[in-house]
Amino acid sequence: MSVLEIDHVDKAFGSHQVLNKMTMDVPEHCVFGFVGQNGAGKTTTMKIALGLLKADGGVVRVCGEQVTYGNSRTNRHVGYLPDVPEFYGYMRPMEYLRLCGQVTGLSSGQIATRGGELLEMVGLAGVKRRIGGFSRGMKQRLGIAQALLNQPELVICDEPTSALDPIGRKEVLDILASLKDRTTVVFSTHVLSDVERICDQVAILHGGRIALAGTIAEIKAQHRHHGFVVECANPADADRLAGAAELKSMGINTTVEGATLTVMIAQHAGGDGAPRADGAAGLVAPSVTGLAGVAPAAPSPQFSQSAGSAPSTWSGSDQAGGQLLLGALTRLDITPVRFEQMEPTLESLFAEVVK
Amino acid sequence: MRGYAAFLGKELIEAVRTYKLFLMLVIFGVFGMSSPLLAKLTPQMIASVVSPELAATIPAPSAVDAWTQFYKNVGQLGLVILIIMFSGVLANELSKGTLVNVVTKGLSRGAVILAKLTSMVAIWTGSLVLAAGLTWVYTQYLFGSNALPHLVVSVVLLWVFGVFLLSLLVCAATLGSNNWVALLITVAVVAVGLVAGIIPAAYHYNPLSLASQNMALITGTVTLGDLWPAIGITLGLIVVLVAAAIGIFRRRVL
Repeated sequence: MSVLEIDHVDKAFGSHQVLNKMTMDVPEHCVFGFVGQNGAGKTTTMKIALGLLKADGGVVRVCGEQVTYGNSRTNRHVGYLPDVPEFYGYMRPMEYLRLCGQVTGLSSGQIATRGGELLEMVGLAGVKRRIGGFSRGMKQRLGIAQALLNQPELVICDEPTSALDPIGRKEVLDILASLKDRTTVVFSTHVLSDVERICDQVAILHGGRIALAGTIAEIKAQHRHHGFVVECANPADADRLAGAAELKSMGINTTVEGATLTVMIAQHAGGDGAPRADGAAGLVAPSVTGLAGVAPAAPSPQFSQSAGSAPSTWSGSDQAGGQLLLGALTRLDITPVRFEQMEPTLESLFAEVVK
Repeated sequence: MRGYAAFLGKELIEAVRTYKLFLMLVIFGVFGMSSPLLAKLTPQMIASVVSPELAATIPAPSAVDAWTQFYKNVGQLGLVILIIMFSGVLANELSKGTLVNVVTKGLSRGAVILAKLTSMVAIWTGSLVLAAGLTWVYTQYLFGSNALPHLVVSVVLLWVFGVFLLSLLVCAATLGSNNWVALLITVAVVAVGLVAGIIPAAYHYNPLSLASQNMALITGTVTLGDLWPAIGITLGLIVVLVAAAIGIFRRRVL
């Protein structure tokens, strides 16, 4: 079941269309990373989901109930942590939680036990100071505590880490990651390393729509760049490797940057060519003249000359490509300092989407 | 109702911890004590500063002078201080975003307005009662008597006018995001009332009469009957302003 469904939501500020038929589903019990550039509309989306902003069109549902602007009933399912949570500076943490609890309708007994537990969890137990004297990290943690007070099914956090120092950030991320069992967390950010650290699901908002969504593993698999990064001891070696006949003859793209060589085995497989399993049928090795002698003995490189516009582009498997590359390294007697398969990073995916 | 009570509690804590309550009580306490004292000392002050001859022409001060001082202090400067003190009633919360948390927790916006108004009216009531009480006690002590007609009624009228100003302030505050907007609108409305005062018969209907005809009522130049329309209009306006404030605030982006 989806905890949060956003269905074709539009929102414009004046002539600026922020959300354009935006659709997004957040499944239960996950940490959902909501990624986008500054100004992409992340906060707008969250405010609409909270009934703090009126959408121009479309429907938002929280736990199956439709969100309305103003006094939204759906907010009883939701805990909200604004980007810079603001509290009444003259109150103490427990007093603030008591106010929140009374507003939500908790009994004073519930407020005392839950408030105590939550303050313990966020590391503010025993802090008797007024909130006015809190650091940003402390405010953010108190923000988490107040967001969880009514045991919401959905916690919406707006850039919870963006203003924090590395330690504060780690603390907040650890707390959010620990919530997965009891609730669903949607958190917006433009810090991709945070997403990779704690999120199961991610959605990238761009141009008013979700440009990319799914589990991180899925997205990475879909957008895998098949290739390797080889770092040589010196730039000369890298140039020699780049000029290797076996790579050239296969039309494999190489780029050299200093002593680092990037070898693209194939363009990422989104769309036309799905990632091929090693030894996939239909891949027939054409004659590899001049290479036979040095080609590794283990599974022979499998590739095909695709019928499309780039006839000589390698489209064999990663493993075969790697073997080919290793063969070239052996033949040229180059010892790499680093040899690794290219992993799409969220950064590269994000950059791709935003472009 | 639950949200209203909780938020009213918060408002009262705020009034205490940000020293608003303390300041109001001190200022109005000083007004209350100084009014009879000033009335009593005026002849001596004129005698020492201007000339004893002039002072001798002034009739001996009485309880009426003490209450005249009271309405000058509380009915003018006191009201100005009241609206300045509370001009940030919504603007502070809106600019900082402190309401977002509690509203997303289910606090109704109507409860926010009503709780804020209740807290302000409570502080105004306390301050006014303190000032009037001190004036009464000191007048009794210095002049030996408070035997004036309509004394309580005239203070109640001033109280109603204060409540009207606070309702106006809250309503104005829902329109803008900074406290100057609220203050300016309130001052502008009062200015309209003052200008209307040029028309002699207008005082029957002018809400401002509740804060300006108090001494006339005590000295008998105006009867309570003359002021009933103004009282009715003021009470009606309070209801309209509070309803408008809630209506506007419901549609506001926080």
